[in-house]
Amino acid sequence: MSAANTHDEPAPESGIDQAAEAPDASLAAVVGAQAIELVGMGLGIASVFVRTLYSCVRGRPDFGAVVRQMFEIGNRSVVFLTVVMGFIGMILVLQGGLQVKRILPEFSMVGASYLELLVRDLAATISALMLATRVGAGIAAEIGSMVVTEQVDALRMCAADPIDYLIKPRFLASLVMTICLVIWAAGVAMLTGMLTAYIMFDVNPRTFFNLNLVDTGDLVVGLAKCLAYGAAIPVVAGHSGLTTHGGSEGVGWATTRAVVNASLAVIVLDLILSALGYMLLGP
Amino acid sequence: MPPKKPSSAASPPPPDVGLLEEIGGGFLGAAATVGGMGLLGYQILRRLVTFRIDRAETLRNLYRMGVKSIPIVIVTALFTGAIMVIQAAPLVVRLGAQGLLGWGAGFGILREIAPLLTALMINGRVGANNTAELGTMVVTEQIDALRVLAIDPIAFLIAPRFVAIVTTLFLSTIFADTLALLGAAYGGLGLLGVEPKTFYNGLTSGLLGLSDVTSGLVKSIVFGVVMALSSCQYGLGVKGGAPGVGRAVNATVVASAAGIFILDYFVSFTLD
Repeated sequence: MSAANTHDEPAPESGIDQAAEAPDASLAAVVGAQAIELVGMGLGIASVFVRTLYSCVRGRPDFGAVVRQMFEIGNRSVVFLTVVMGFIGMILVLQGGLQVKRILPEFSMVGASYLELLVRDLAATISALMLATRVGAGIAAEIGSMVVTEQVDALRMCAADPIDYLIKPRFLASLVMTICLVIWAAGVAMLTGMLTAYIMFDVNPRTFFNLNLVDTGDLVVGLAKCLAYGAAIPVVAGHSGLTTHGGSEGVGWATTRAVVNASLAVIVLDLILSALGYMLLGP
Repeated sequence: MPPKKPSSAASPPPPDVGLLEEIGGGFLGAAATVGGMGLLGYQILRRLVTFRIDRAETLRNLYRMGVKSIPIVIVTALFTGAIMVIQAAPLVVRLGAQGLLGWGAGFGILREIAPLLTALMINGRVGANNTAELGTMVVTEQIDALRVLAIDPIAFLIAPRFVAIVTTLFLSTIFADTLALLGAAYGGLGLLGVEPKTFYNGLTSGLLGLSDVTSGLVKSIVFGVVMALSSCQYGLGVKGGAPGVGRAVNATVVASAAGIFILDYFVSFTLD
């Protein structure tokens, strides 16, 4: 009896304990603390971004480090991105075809609207979400381990700015490689989408590959998204890597935070750029 | 001096790895991971069938993984809904059919985007965190300590996390479906001037059925199982201190994301 009690009791209590760490915190205090934390994080990320831009202009040029990071960020992501975008192409055409089947008798426009959607939004956004997980987690884990093992402090002691030394090469590499990877990813998704349309819905590849709906505006919006995501991911991940504290658990937390924040940054930037593109360049 | 040389020579990988060897090694590694996940799943299932699962730990994990993820799910879902409306806008403008907006955006949200993006966000938050936590326990030998105390680590640590992740993802997807539709309705009002009432009429006019919702929910369960198994598997396989934990988290996030997209296709394909 008593054994069952002691086993049962802690369950609800441990949950409540964590819910209210300070028992007299009112709702306003909780919300306020969250808001202050959020604003602080935003300012921190902005500061890292500005300092990165500054060191891009004024810093010590280090071409070798940029090339190494381009290999790390770009070449190492190609297989992962190819698999994911290949499946995304098949899923989108399958779902799009099923959707069209409910209202229209024929599939000739599936290809054209799919390619427009791909160029304007999905190629860049889905690739960026994948890069946010892969590259963001990688950057945060690497820089986080350096912080925990006091290598970043050692850099500061040598009068080497960690932003200039660690974040800038990743920033420049990501800026270039995101564009390359997105173009590759769009190609892969087009190919698998074309094959799916041919096999599932009997759409001739020539009919499918119809670029009539893709105009300059779509291309501009797509490339603007690539640039924005390529800049945002290393900055957000680098910020959470540099703010790591605590041992191996801290590295885990930093990695988690990097993935979540970078993915949220991608989604928020997507909405902003899509809305801007819609308002400035038309549908 | 002599003992230093071999240690520095041993650290870089052997340089003469051929392409075939690399490809083969990659496949063997992937096969070992998937096999390990299968075995882990079997062991978890055995504990779940016989109810050998720690209740307190399950509740604690449900709170930590589920309740604490709600803000992220809310933000993601609202933004996603608005993005889907912008992407469906050409349909409305070209065909001049405002009534189709609800259908066009709703179809994508319910069947694909809400389950997928919720899974990706939860993967980043919960999956990565779970690996980091289990990895830290492995590195600090807490799992071995549990075994020494004759506590089954699977029943005490892994099965509760499995249940919590699957439940969290399922409930979050229901939540995200609703919120994404809300975001889409008000995004449509703000950007295209389509009244939310028109949006909801398009949504409920009969072109969308229950099967669209259940298809998304089935996906969420599949994604949850993949994410739980891979994050536990990678977490338990951590080697080598803090950098090892970082590498394991990175590997989990990538593996779960790839697994989610691959299974998404097969679930869509079998359920249509």
